Amino acid sequence: MFAYVLRRLWQMLPTMGGVVLLVFFLFNWVGGDPAYLLAGKMADANAIENIRRQLGTDQPYTVQLWIFVKQILTFDFGNAWSTGEPVSHIIASRLGPSLTVLIPLTILETGFGIALALGIAFLRGSLTDRAVMVACTVGMSISILVYIIVFQYVFAYQWGLFPVQGWGNSLGENLLRYALLPIIIGLAVSIAPTLRLYRSFVLDEVGQDYVRTARAKGLKESRIVWVHVLRNAAIPIITHVMANLPALLIGAFLLERFFGIPGIGREVILAVERSDFPVIKAITVYVAAATMVFNLLADLLYQAVDPRVQLK
Amino acid sequence: MTTLHQHSAGLWTLAWRRLRADRVAMAALALVAGFLLLVLLSSTGLVASDWEDEVGVNYAPPSFVGADATARALARAQLPRETPPNAFDPLADELSELKAQVRESHPPVEKRTTLLFGADKWGHDIVKKTIKGGETSIVVGLVAALLAVMLGTLFGAVSGFFGGWVDDLFNWFYSIFTAIPSILMILTVAAVLQQKGVATIVLILGLTGWTGPYRLMRAEYIKHGAREYVMAANAIGASSWSRMFGHILPNVSHVALVQMSILVVGFIKAEVILSFLGFGVPVGTVSWGSMLNEAQNELILGKWWQLAAAAGAMALLVTSFSLFADALRDALDPKIK
Amino acid sequence: MTSTMTQETVPLLQVRDLRIAFRTDKKNTFEALKGISFDVPDNSTVALVGESGSGKSVSSLAVMGLLPEQTTIIHPGASIRFAGRELLGLPLRERRALCGKDIAMIFQEPMSSLNPVFTAGYQISEVLRLHMGMDQRAARARTLELLDEVGIPDPQRKIDAYPSQLSGGQQQRVMIAMAIACQPRLLIADEPTTALDVTIQQQIMDLIARLQRERRMAVLFITHDLGLVGEIADRVIVMRHGQVREEGAAAQVFGAPTDAYTRALLHCRPSLNARPLRLPVIDDYLSGRAAPGQALAQRVRGTTPGDEPVLVVKNLAKSFWLREGLFGKREFKAVKDVSFTLGRGKTLGVVGESGSGKTTVGLTLLRLHRATGGTALFEGRDLLAMSDREYQAYKRRIQIIFQNPYASLNPRFTVGQILEEPMRIHSIGANEMERSTLARGLLGRVGLPDAAYGRYPHEFSGGQRQRIAIARCLTMQPEILVCDESVSALDVSVQAQVLNLLQDLQDEFGMSYIFISHDLSVVKYISDQVMVMHHGSVVEMADSDELYRNPQHPYTRSLLAAIPRSVL
Repeated sequence: MFAYVLRRLWQMLPTMGGVVLLVFFLFNWVGGDPAYLLAGKMADANAIENIRRQLGTDQPYTVQLWIFVKQILTFDFGNAWSTGEPVSHIIASRLGPSLTVLIPLTILETGFGIALALGIAFLRGSLTDRAVMVACTVGMSISILVYIIVFQYVFAYQWGLFPVQGWGNSLGENLLRYALLPIIIGLAVSIAPTLRLYRSFVLDEVGQDYVRTARAKGLKESRIVWVHVLRNAAIPIITHVMANLPALLIGAFLLERFFGIPGIGREVILAVERSDFPVIKAITVYVAAATMVFNLLADLLYQAVDPRVQLK
Repeated sequence: MTTLHQHSAGLWTLAWRRLRADRVAMAALALVAGFLLLVLLSSTGLVASDWEDEVGVNYAPPSFVGADATARALARAQLPRETPPNAFDPLADELSELKAQVRESHPPVEKRTTLLFGADKWGHDIVKKTIKGGETSIVVGLVAALLAVMLGTLFGAVSGFFGGWVDDLFNWFYSIFTAIPSILMILTVAAVLQQKGVATIVLILGLTGWTGPYRLMRAEYIKHGAREYVMAANAIGASSWSRMFGHILPNVSHVALVQMSILVVGFIKAEVILSFLGFGVPVGTVSWGSMLNEAQNELILGKWWQLAAAAGAMALLVTSFSLFADALRDALDPKIK
Repeated sequence: MTSTMTQETVPLLQVRDLRIAFRTDKKNTFEALKGISFDVPDNSTVALVGESGSGKSVSSLAVMGLLPEQTTIIHPGASIRFAGRELLGLPLRERRALCGKDIAMIFQEPMSSLNPVFTAGYQISEVLRLHMGMDQRAARARTLELLDEVGIPDPQRKIDAYPSQLSGGQQQRVMIAMAIACQPRLLIADEPTTALDVTIQQQIMDLIARLQRERRMAVLFITHDLGLVGEIADRVIVMRHGQVREEGAAAQVFGAPTDAYTRALLHCRPSLNARPLRLPVIDDYLSGRAAPGQALAQRVRGTTPGDEPVLVVKNLAKSFWLREGLFGKREFKAVKDVSFTLGRGKTLGVVGESGSGKTTVGLTLLRLHRATGGTALFEGRDLLAMSDREYQAYKRRIQIIFQNPYASLNPRFTVGQILEEPMRIHSIGANEMERSTLARGLLGRVGLPDAAYGRYPHEFSGGQRQRIAIARCLTMQPEILVCDESVSALDVSVQAQVLNLLQDLQDEFGMSYIFISHDLSVVKYISDQVMVMHHGSVVEMADSDELYRNPQHPYTRSLLAAIPRSVL
């Protein structure tokens, strides 16, 4: 297994390199000259030259690329263009709030998803099953924006059950007060697609030959679904959850923006609005790295859970 | 089961028959067709081209709610008033002549106190905005999905069929693009491309969305490439190109079609979010996303109709499209032995 | 319940007037069983024999209550009585209490019938804990005993093995252990050996027979191969198209069958003792043209030194590389050093079990795999060494028919398109009209109706699809035809038809065949020369009569010993 991990890490290098190249290509080539942006409207040639020298954009591309690589390796991207805050500090401090919302959300979403999917599997083909599926389709067709706007309006603004916006200082306060409504909305939005996906995993398993054998052995239907099928369906579910975690970091950006949660997602939006390149570059590179690491973890977990797989 | 017809039913005919028997699918198809028709009319300017006319008072409520006092007051206030005659004005005569001419050619229109589904902050007709916004979102969704599926199919076919270094190369691209979550990718490209516009969004979505179809089509091509009918085609002398697109493609095109319908839904939703954040359509163009953006503030004032219109229209379209896509997938399910 | 003194005892399983239909879509139904009745007495082996579509599996699934509820319609007059108890209409809970305990079932594909994520021991003890109420430790001890009883070597380690870590034969033994764990009175075995190699097949058959004797249980053995059950069956039931054609004691059914279809089944199979010019087919028997005792003209086969060699293969080798370790690759030698000479108009049979490399030989000769070594001389030129462009001209002269008739025709092409494509590629026929005429002519030559021209493959049966595949090859008039397990997936009756067709074509066109198969009787029937392969190497090669009469290599001998001795 050690050999496998080593080989996977080795294989990640070209991908990481590709990501670096892509980000570099986008920001340093396509992105054009940010000096004009930063100099403001009435800048003179001197000020622009100054900025260029500070940013290093007056150097040839190969040198710029080397600077970029060094930045990645030393975790130092300099300061954000808009706020002057060190980029590494921005990322470090925003990670906490993001996770405070994401971790409970993922746990609840997966738990509910599995339970509902297994429950629906009992009723497959029946009217209830089809009604639930149509309800899921309708639920998925309403934009998350609408969910957020309406929930925020009704539950926070009108009824005052939750704070409309804001973030506190302690973990407890955040978790129990400020993160609640975002988590509820996140659940409401994600339950439909999650249920559909997990249901398809479960149904794939229910149609397999070993289920027929289990019935021939005289096992109760509930045992067949909760023990035999779940154990097999857990495999794609786990890999799905693991592989999607880094994407969730960014995906929660809408929730963070609406509720004023100082997380990574909101940071990305702000950076895009202000054309704050260092922040976007840094986040992109780190999220990409995190995605690859999580994929590797998912594969290792896959091997631990599925005895058919032998990683070589 | 044997018939005397010369040509028996192929995949698409059989699928169409199965689809026709499904009432829900037909209803969904009808709705989708209705939307597409609206898009066609709207893009050619036959309908809703005058959405920018401020025909209603600000925040006019919908007709079924009825005009309220504020609206009526605004309507009265906005009527062009006659200025009192000025005895000292040397140009008074010419001016009154001109005014009379203007009145003839452009009679003052009283702003309506209610519209079919209300008006927004500037008095635009919500119904027209919704139609126009739908045109933007649907066109973006369709074209971007088409682009993504075409790229994904081409890359996946070449990758899955030839294997070797070609496969490694495309896999490298694939792992790069999937290492970055698509939202981040889209936002990054939006940040970098300073210009906005429908074409830009289509390109961004299409160039980042090819990864899903690629993975599926590559898997299909690997699976079919090992099947005996392709080996048989090789044995009788068919060329690689012929095997890839003459033999395998007809057997996997239904997968591409289903992929496309799934992507259309995803891209419409993505476009709405992008436009909401301000990274999507430029200022002069209306989209459901921009409508939702305005609706957020309107809701606090108690004006809910723009939110309802945009959310409702979008929900209706996406639901019917999704239902139709599901039914299409079931109808095409090739258990044709 | 039964008096031990009377001869007449109530059969353990009584099926009466079982009529089952399946709903295929909203309007249509398909009648799978048209009212069958049969008995399974206690402490005996009953063989239920039928070809595909006969309804034999459906009957057994109905007994177990495993048919899908929503699409199955069981007609009310039907009755299935087990030990005097009516099963149809029994509440589900009571049905499930019977299953696994008094009635047990084993299936055809052991790999997919076992849950891949649980160990063998877990799945066996599950039944013990559920039906017998044993605790963990008792169940484990009993499981070890069971594994030993079914002949699993090293049970202490295998009990914690996952199905993917066991071989096909071992998986089936585990399934059997699971089935007999609770001392069932009736064991239903649905094609348990079809997916296994010939030598393993024999072992599993012996195991089932031994268990039946030792435990005195009833066995309902379902198979498509009448010859297989000759040794173990006490009673035989023959089914066709959802009806019972014949039922009786094994000796009577094999020795003096009353039904024409049964007679056909017995005689369509190529036997080791005779080689008629044409194999009799079902129609011959059903229409009365053939009679069992009829002496048929025999065909002489064999090679002579004067044969003109059309293909000379020397030292053919093919290796596949598998990834191993950190960066290394391991070589897997599928074919090691195969040499033979194929005479014009002759048939070379290549025989072996799965993994022997026989299919790889065929695919490599057609350059569908790139050979690792060796030469194949055809008209003085090495086919394997040519460039792709040079080989293109030779493609039409050596062709292949694959095993799976359901996968070798493009489902989206009509039959006409399938036949005309090779003609177009090799510029046969001056224009579309001529090609179409040629295609129709070939359809007739292989025994298909003209209307087949515009139809899609899914409308044809397995045997008909093989004919289409043969017609496709004929469009190019090849000189060498590789038949890769081409009749293995077909029913016995259809197999005979296709073999006759292949033989007719060889007589007419003088093609040379390389006939690859695991079925020894078929190979002996059709081959002049036989090559036996094992783990990629040729262990023996001789004229077919000589090989079967006097096998030299121990592996060849074990293969021949494993052929089920049908009572002929």
